[in-house]
Amino acid sequence: MAAVEQRPYEASREKGGSGWAIVLAQELRDLWLGGRGLLLSFGFSILLSLIAYLVATNTALNFLEQRESVNLTLQVAIAVGGLLTLLAAADTVSGERERGTLETLLLTPVSRRQVVTGKLLAALSLWLVAFAITVPYVWFLGRGLLIVTEALGTGLVVGTLLAVFLASLGVVISLFAGSNRVSLSVSLFLLLALFAPTQLPSSAQQGWAGELFLRANPITAGEHYVGRIVVNSHSWSEDVSWLLSPLVAAVVFAVAVPVLGARFLRLGGGRAK
Amino acid sequence: MSRLGSPVALLGALVAALLGALLAVPLLAAQAQAAGPSPRLSVTVDRTEISTQLGGKFAFRSTITNNDPASVSGLIAHLNVVGLRDGVYVDPEDWSSQRTHYLEPLPAGGSTTITWHVHAVDDGVLGMYIAVLPESGVGLPPATSPMIRLTVAEKQTLNSGGIIPLALGIPALIGLLTLGVRVRRGRQPGR
Repeated sequence: MAAVEQRPYEASREKGGSGWAIVLAQELRDLWLGGRGLLLSFGFSILLSLIAYLVATNTALNFLEQRESVNLTLQVAIAVGGLLTLLAAADTVSGERERGTLETLLLTPVSRRQVVTGKLLAALSLWLVAFAITVPYVWFLGRGLLIVTEALGTGLVVGTLLAVFLASLGVVISLFAGSNRVSLSVSLFLLLALFAPTQLPSSAQQGWAGELFLRANPITAGEHYVGRIVVNSHSWSEDVSWLLSPLVAAVVFAVAVPVLGARFLRLGGGRAK
Repeated sequence: MSRLGSPVALLGALVAALLGALLAVPLLAAQAQAAGPSPRLSVTVDRTEISTQLGGKFAFRSTITNNDPASVSGLIAHLNVVGLRDGVYVDPEDWSSQRTHYLEPLPAGGSTTITWHVHAVDDGVLGMYIAVLPESGVGLPPATSPMIRLTVAEKQTLNSGGIIPLALGIPALIGLLTLGVRVRRGRQPGR
């Protein structure tokens, strides 16, 4: 966010606007009218186009049932949508520090709790746009079956829980990171670590220990739940226990953001100044 | 004396032969027992021709019958899939999640039926069969079922023709929007 754009905080605050809403509006303008959000969405749409084209035309992948094609596309959308929100969130505080705009922001009459809340919500807008981009691809791949609504509904619920978790995680890391590079690196490393279990061989995912491992990880649990509904045609309630860890992670980290933000949103990366 | 040598030698040879035979018989018997007599098994399948489409899932049954007068234990049934045309790559692991069944002991004249669930992941003409082998049947041929001829037709699961406008249209739309925003920002004074 540029320093010259800090003034609207004060102007809007004087008009009686809610602090977090003012920060959110300013962050949204910065993200979307600044072009960064659109550029990320453009890359996201290219990725989804490639996957949709491959599952629709490649003979080796073509044996996939329609349900599996929809599931693959939806899971990639959730994963990459989560990545986008994490990247945007990891830049929120540490990025402002490096650009030298955090000091100006802290001087505005908006509480620190509201600042981080507004920034978190702005980062989440990337997921909502990513989901909107996913809709036509899922519709195309799943048309003719009665799974499009279910797939989109499941994708929205699971994707939103994971996006809230990842965006909150990104903001928390950004609060404490000494530099923007550290914040982005740690966030990406954690994301890769969370996704790593999806690459385990199926034999390693069997048994109570394997299932517990999958259930405890919000990413693997969420993706598993989507697969059960889209591929196995299970009802929403049948495997709802798999949503426990995404829900807990989303709530815990979303609560942690304003709590930690009020205390640690400082110029020096979490160090007392 | 010279004539005594022959009967003694003959007796010695006879004793040696007898001892050798006494030692060799149990040894040979032990070897035969290790290999085990081949149980008289028959393996049948409920059909020998299956046609499906790529990605299709189907099931067939095989029945293993023990024709031996004694019960048989330690039998293992295994599903095999083979491409009947050169150049067809087949990885049987992809075709069935459970290709091996360890069977309960079969009484004399008894039989057991196994249902095999198969997922056709390659198109072409393929052969499938069930092999049953006793776990102690080293060196003995397994009992096999008749071959099932499987014809898997290529299947286009999606209308790929419609994907191109979508795959190009959405990125183009977002790209244009991005470009428009950037141009608009560039025209704003003070930027």
